Amino acid sequence: MAISDVKEYTHLSEEDVEQLGRELDAIRADVEESRGAADAAYINRMITVQRSLAAAGRVTLLVGAHARRGSRPAWVAGTAMLGLAKILENMEIGHNVMHGQWDWMNDPEIHSSNWEWDTAQPAEQWKHSHNYVHHQFTNVLGHDNDIGYGVLRMAREQRWHPLNLGQPVYNALLAGLFQWGVALHDLDLDAIRKGRKDPQEMKRQLRQIVRKGRNQILKDYVVYPALSGRGWKGTLKANATANLSRNLWSYMIIFCGHFPDGAMHFTEEELEDETRAEWYLRQMLGSANFEGGPVLHIASGNLGYQIEHHLFPDLPSNRYAEISVRVRALCEKYDLPYTTGPLARQYGQALRTILKLSLPNSMTAPDTPEPPSPPVERGRRADAERPTRRTETGAWSRSRTAS
Amino acid sequence: MTPAAGTAPFAWAEDGTLDTRRVTQCALSRICGVCGAGLGRPIAFLGTQEEVDRNAFHAPPLHLACGERLLATGGADGAAGSVLVTTAGFEYVRAAKEDADRRATFRPNSLLRSR
Repeated sequence: MAISDVKEYTHLSEEDVEQLGRELDAIRADVEESRGAADAAYINRMITVQRSLAAAGRVTLLVGAHARRGSRPAWVAGTAMLGLAKILENMEIGHNVMHGQWDWMNDPEIHSSNWEWDTAQPAEQWKHSHNYVHHQFTNVLGHDNDIGYGVLRMAREQRWHPLNLGQPVYNALLAGLFQWGVALHDLDLDAIRKGRKDPQEMKRQLRQIVRKGRNQILKDYVVYPALSGRGWKGTLKANATANLSRNLWSYMIIFCGHFPDGAMHFTEEELEDETRAEWYLRQMLGSANFEGGPVLHIASGNLGYQIEHHLFPDLPSNRYAEISVRVRALCEKYDLPYTTGPLARQYGQALRTILKLSLPNSMTAPDTPEPPSPPVERGRRADAERPTRRTETGAWSRSRTAS
Repeated sequence: MTPAAGTAPFAWAEDGTLDTRRVTQCALSRICGVCGAGLGRPIAFLGTQEEVDRNAFHAPPLHLACGERLLATGGADGAAGSVLVTTAGFEYVRAAKEDADRRATFRPNSLLRSR
């Protein structure tokens, strides 16, 4: 559906939508004005904690590998610290730094231009596939490749194919191999399948991926095991376990952001003439939060505040908690849904969608929640009121030639 | 991503106007509006004195070297007479309904220098 067809906001007049936009602008301005030393201290503290965990994990594993006895506790502790370090680096640090959330600090290292993260996807490709494609075209079918990552059917509007029957298997593979799925994300498998991908650009991106992936494999599966001497197998297994934990965790957090019940999908009809307020609205209605304590939010890169992150992707992540109070109040004021719930429930709903949509629509029922208020007449036209959008001119050209 | 010799800079159309889709891509992918490659630090913005005074630029972020080259050649969007500012970061501001000019703007948030 186009944004103008979304029943969750058809009770708002155009002026209401613009006023909501102004109130969200005010939240943004407040955070920008108060951004300063405490925020800088936060990200520096996170980086210190993450690097300490990584170093302690590596050292513990090495010491355990060379110890004659009692290496099992060292293996468990080292693996846990390494897994946590990878999660922190990818979720709270890398993802947010690459959004430019900390560029204002003018730090030579903590800057969106310089940061290269500990995962297989090159930073440059992430900034295109995530910052631009996903954040600009959030939940817009045919544009946002995060809708199912090119392998899963995640919206009822997407056509069903018999291959979708394998979704439970594809989903398990995507979760376990998530960093490699993300590494291939910007290649845009759908564009390659349809022959729309520029071959030169594809080769350039593949070279980048191979170089980055090779370095990741060398680091975790060759260099550190080699340093462990006879205990190389234990170190290799520890690194694989840490990577798997990070993959499963980041997959779950990301799938909770846009696929629980209540997060909507859109079509492209109104992208071109969308105002800032409407863009805000699309971000709010297309995203879903989850609840939890401060540690859970840090470990998930503050993506438990996915709605706030999508409204203000370049504001510091440590401010999303305070922003969420004001955004939630605005949702209540304007009678808009604020999709949130416990992490397990949100992921359960995303998983149910994956399983249900492996079947044709005729065999399942939608899980869309009821919209809140009755609609009022507005200025913008709904999809049904708009002329059909043509994607080709062949029929028109042939009719002109024939006449 | 680097445009071929003789073609317009990445974020500009051949007629010298800004290509709005590419401007958005530059803003979010954090790539240079001239060469299309990843931005460095500092980030440069090229604009009129009025844009500098309002701290709201229409042209996308640039590499410092690309900005200086554009400034020197007076290329793209009538850069002659323009001012180059450098910053560590920027805010990308989409147009609101009441804005007469419906182009997005860039607000440098940590100005380093202007010339």
